[in-house]
Amino acid sequence: MRESRAFDLSSPRAAWRDLSLQAAAWFAAAIVAGMFLWLLFDLLWHGAARVDWTFLTTTPKSSGRSGGIAPILASTLLILFVAIAVAAPLGLATAVLLSEYTRREGRLGQMIGLSLDVLAGVPSIVVGLFGNAFFCVWLGLGFSILAGGLTLACMILPILIRTTESGLRQVPDEWRLSAEALGMSRATILIHVLIPVAAPALIAGLMLGIGRAMAETAALVFTSGYVDRMPASFLDSGRAISVHIYDLTMNVAGGDKNAYASALVLIALLIIINGIAVALADRALTRRVSAA
Amino acid sequence: MLRLLALTVCGGFLFGMSLTANAAEKIVITGSSTVAPLVAEIGKRFEEQNPDVRIDVQTGGSSRGINDARSGLANIGMASRSLKDEEKDLKGTAIARDGIGIILNAANMVRSLTDQQIVDIFLGKITDWSAVGGKAGPITVVNKADGRSTLELFLNHFKLKASDIKAQVIIGDNQQGIKTVAGNPNAIGYVSVGTAEFEAGQGTSVKLLSMNGIPATVENIQNGSFPLARPLTLVTKDEPSGVVRAFIDFAQSAAVHDLVKEQFFVPVLP
Repeated sequence: MRESRAFDLSSPRAAWRDLSLQAAAWFAAAIVAGMFLWLLFDLLWHGAARVDWTFLTTTPKSSGRSGGIAPILASTLLILFVAIAVAAPLGLATAVLLSEYTRREGRLGQMIGLSLDVLAGVPSIVVGLFGNAFFCVWLGLGFSILAGGLTLACMILPILIRTTESGLRQVPDEWRLSAEALGMSRATILIHVLIPVAAPALIAGLMLGIGRAMAETAALVFTSGYVDRMPASFLDSGRAISVHIYDLTMNVAGGDKNAYASALVLIALLIIINGIAVALADRALTRRVSAA
Repeated sequence: MLRLLALTVCGGFLFGMSLTANAAEKIVITGSSTVAPLVAEIGKRFEEQNPDVRIDVQTGGSSRGINDARSGLANIGMASRSLKDEEKDLKGTAIARDGIGIILNAANMVRSLTDQQIVDIFLGKITDWSAVGGKAGPITVVNKADGRSTLELFLNHFKLKASDIKAQVIIGDNQQGIKTVAGNPNAIGYVSVGTAEFEAGQGTSVKLLSMNGIPATVENIQNGSFPLARPLTLVTKDEPSGVVRAFIDFAQSAAVHDLVKEQFFVPVLP
């Protein structure tokens, strides 16, 4: 009888347990939301007064204490562009290989999967040192936006591949079988059935990757570098916004105010890009559903 | 869509190559994160006067600056110290001076410490402020990370070994040191005098201690009387020539003294 009493929903003890569990969940959620709001409020409080059109469109002066962040924004977006242009096709292709051309328990698939998981856990400073040794020195790219973007691509690839792969795996096998029964070739199935279906997952993976890439400092100090001039090409060195924030807070006396303002711009950029990605994923989803 | 993306990337690369091919002489400078903001500003002014020269400044620490200058990866290395004996094969030029001061939290009652007391605190022999005339409380020793020239200068001055220091907090940059001490009433650390003087003036709760009775001020660093000071050095592999020579001469000249002061360093007197 004792055991069954624990499951008796009408007993006051069970009701109390239900209530406390619910309260704990709400409390945890409130802490998480509160932390983000606190951070946002702190940034707004210290930085909002400095952020205006001039701040976004002028060059830094006096090591970033005054002036704006135009070249830094340009460099950041260029680095991000290189990283995505390289990582998206590579990531999609690898995910297709993993989900469509290898068996889940197969040795090749497992080896690739394992190496991806290890790669995903590599600290960014290690990726940065690798990027410096490989792209900057060995390939002779020097400190450049190209080298920084390629290094970031290495960093976001694992997460991109894993999310896209799971998106592809969620496609029911019946779809593949029906398509094959209709006499479609494997390539046609891939392009017209599987990739459109996995598009939201690919976009979600890209989003996670972009979030990680935008906030990256350690991997970029040694690859895209420290130069705060407006970049004229992908082979110029360009300071990313996170590197700029780090330098202003840690290295430049009196740079705090502009560091807050830059951090606010970074958060705003992340929110904007997130919004675009969500909208893209929604569109891909509705198109898929209405087409089907 | 993908094709468009690929085309843009290729186009971008070609555009980049063509521009770099046309670009004029480029000087690459790497090294100390303390010197980098100053040299970057000097570089900008130099570029204005010499439109066909580009100066790219990268950071990574003094050791990196010396290594890159020696290996030829950089035209000029930056070090926030003078050259060591085993580095005398390189050529070093001081462009400014920086003093290192001991900082305490402004709330700390201690007004001065003898050299011996400082040594004992950093060796962990004195662990409570009551032993040196302060309010009782455990001392938090804030030390610099390995490879930082501030650490080397500090160790040299007090004849200490890095491995003997019993630190509770290890920091990297100057600002980090100031923030750590400002946030902990029982902390003791050492940072650039110019930076600490500025932050203290801005209301940050840190204060600089006198050394051997000499106040840690920018004036005392310039006139050479303050014992704990270091030169900010530009390092080249050989006797510099051409544009590199011109840049180093420019960085030493009175034309950049305002930039040196703006970074809270002390200009060198010719």
